[in-house]
Amino acid sequence: MTDLPPFLTYKGIPVWRHVQVIQWVSQVVSGILVAVLVVWFFANIANAVQGREIPHGFGFLERAYQTPIGQHFIPYDSSDTFLYAFIVAATNTLIVSVVGVVLATALGIAVGVARLSSNWVVSKIALVYVEFFRNVPLLVQLFFWFYIVLALPPVREGYVVGGWLFVNNGGISVPSPAPNGVSGLVIWIVVAAIAAAAGLAVRRLLLLRELRAGSTSHPLVSGAAVAVIIAAVGWLAVSVGFGAPPLHVSHPAPEEGAFGLISGGLTLSGGLVALLAGLVIYTSSFIAEIVRAGLQSVSRGQSEAARALGLSQMETLRQVTFPQALRVIVPPLISQYLNLTKNSSLAGAIGYSDLTNVAKTMTQTAPAVSIYILIMAAYLAMSLTYSIIGNLYNRHIRLTGG
Amino acid sequence: MIGWMRTNLFGTWFSGVITVASIVIAGLALWFGLRWVIFEADWSVVAVLGGRMIIGQYNTEAACPGQNCFWRPQVALLMVTTLLGMAWGYSGGTITKRVVIGVAVILAAFAFLPYRFETMGLDVRLLLAANVPALALGWALARYTRLGSVQSIALLGVAAFLITVVLLRGLPGVPGLQLVSVIHWGGLMLNLVLAVAGIVVCFPIGVALALGRRSNLPVVKVLCVVFIEVFRGVPLITLLFMSQVLVPLAFPEAFPQNSLFRAAVVIILFSSAYMAENIRGGLQALRPGQAEAARALGLPAWQTTLVILLPQAIRNVIPAIVGQFIALFKDTTLVYIIGMLDVVEFSRAFIQGNAEYLANARELFIFLALIFWIFTYTMSYVSQRVERELGVGER
Repeated sequence: MTDLPPFLTYKGIPVWRHVQVIQWVSQVVSGILVAVLVVWFFANIANAVQGREIPHGFGFLERAYQTPIGQHFIPYDSSDTFLYAFIVAATNTLIVSVVGVVLATALGIAVGVARLSSNWVVSKIALVYVEFFRNVPLLVQLFFWFYIVLALPPVREGYVVGGWLFVNNGGISVPSPAPNGVSGLVIWIVVAAIAAAAGLAVRRLLLLRELRAGSTSHPLVSGAAVAVIIAAVGWLAVSVGFGAPPLHVSHPAPEEGAFGLISGGLTLSGGLVALLAGLVIYTSSFIAEIVRAGLQSVSRGQSEAARALGLSQMETLRQVTFPQALRVIVPPLISQYLNLTKNSSLAGAIGYSDLTNVAKTMTQTAPAVSIYILIMAAYLAMSLTYSIIGNLYNRHIRLTGG
Repeated sequence: MIGWMRTNLFGTWFSGVITVASIVIAGLALWFGLRWVIFEADWSVVAVLGGRMIIGQYNTEAACPGQNCFWRPQVALLMVTTLLGMAWGYSGGTITKRVVIGVAVILAAFAFLPYRFETMGLDVRLLLAANVPALALGWALARYTRLGSVQSIALLGVAAFLITVVLLRGLPGVPGLQLVSVIHWGGLMLNLVLAVAGIVVCFPIGVALALGRRSNLPVVKVLCVVFIEVFRGVPLITLLFMSQVLVPLAFPEAFPQNSLFRAAVVIILFSSAYMAENIRGGLQALRPGQAEAARALGLPAWQTTLVILLPQAIRNVIPAIVGQFIALFKDTTLVYIIGMLDVVEFSRAFIQGNAEYLANARELFIFLALIFWIFTYTMSYVSQRVERELGVGER
């Protein structure tokens, strides 16, 4: 028998060169490696926790925290539990995050639009703003604002604007709404929610009619008017029914006392003012660049066509360019919101009681590992919430087939 | 000139009003700002801190008993400037030339700034000034010897970094090189060491994570996604202070470690998660034809990735990558949370400890902002020029 040609003796690819085999083996190996590493770390931690008698578990959450928290937006007392103190701290972070996001977005859009302005002076000023503030570490900026607030005069010699705005080294005090009674407020909030829903419904109905009829019927103004009228009627009804309106304005006023504190109104502590100033300015410089990139991504023909149709420069920006730019802007904008929220953890450096700062203090009297698990869960939950809201909005504005 | 002004400043009456208003506001800000900087601000706090801003408490009696240790970071700096000079001599481009001139001017200015003499003696000033000839030496080395190639400059760079670490840490038993504990490393030196180590190490890890996340092997993919999302979801500062307790627990007690090591590990892992997302963006922007063509030419998968896909992907996202490097450099200021005295924390501690300078905190932090800005703006300037030279967005 003669030798067969090679293609007849071919027995298939050797096992070790088979793509699927390689893939499976590499997956199993990497999985095992990571598992071994994780198990090793956890075994070490478990060993250390037992050997060194480091406290663990979550039982501490029921204990009283017994440490004051500087600024808090929901009532807090040192006798409250660890769990409640944790929630207070999370609220502090959440408030900074939400207020910061709103202000930074407004400022960032303004600077981003200014950056593209055809006016040479305006665009150069915006350029300097962006290049300076995004290139300097946030911590340096925070300290700068913090020491400016600290250098303000004390409460007694502080600045008073029009008798309602107090600026001093304790922070900024402004008038704030305060409830006159719980039941009246709750009823009015329900009425206000109904009013908002009715206003939106009216706007939507009028918009649809407008599309059919081809002539405008002022949907936005009519919707707002409906909402305001319903809310005002509710306000009057509560005022008559309970003898007092649901909310009154609480004015800040200096206290008669040795420390010279301010009572009434809403006092934003110096740390909070510095934190918001730093976070908003820092983040707005990043948002400005995102907005600029977004606006530049819209093709020139769009704005030229809009101008040719007779729209003004402002209308072109608001109704043609910006809505299209949003598709490019929204995804990186969400990650800036997340960055702002995470950057608010620098608050501890300037004495504002955010989540990280309070958690760090808690580790002195409670098991550290348990607290780490809690704060990681809290931050991941916040990140996830922003991501979900942002992605829903993104789906709402993205190009659809029609 | 008048035509340019008419189109760019006074295009419409509204634009004209805005131009005038912003010129007035900017002029007033500049006027009051300059008046404050020159006449009202008291910059003595910067002069008092002097060289300590650069090295923190490295040269104090506690860190370096009975010796002058200032020369160690300065020799490290001389190595860096020599390497920079070599890069200039090798490339000969305008970018490196401008960076070199900037560095020379800044270092010379530092050497002759009117610091108090006791915080910066003549020896220190002379060693700082020696950086200018070092730049020239590097240039000559690259031009006239065989060291002027990318490979040798890269190798020398790695060697210089290792020598720097050994110099700063010290070698037991060598006279003049006694050990300096890492808790005494500080100042701008600490920021730079962490930033360089972080940038060099986080990049390859980021590439690996990005490839893992795009892999079609489910186990690898899930592991990478979990790693990336967890590290991106939690603030760096939280990770840093957690590392102080968790990392010592997670390793056996015999494992050598210190706070600098822990800070470096956390900063590297954190940055590599962000780096991975940037590189993934670059990979996603590639058309599938690139990979298909490479496979059709018979390249194995690893070569397709390394030679065809990654270079294009990285070129696409240079601004994002350099932005991440800048963020990493800025983030090195967060090590204050684990008690390390980087330049910002050192300055803040100085203000807190010396009440007479409390009123001058503004001057100090404006100075620090300027220092950081010089570094970060240089990085972003270089990235813009590199991007232009590679012709990104033109092909």
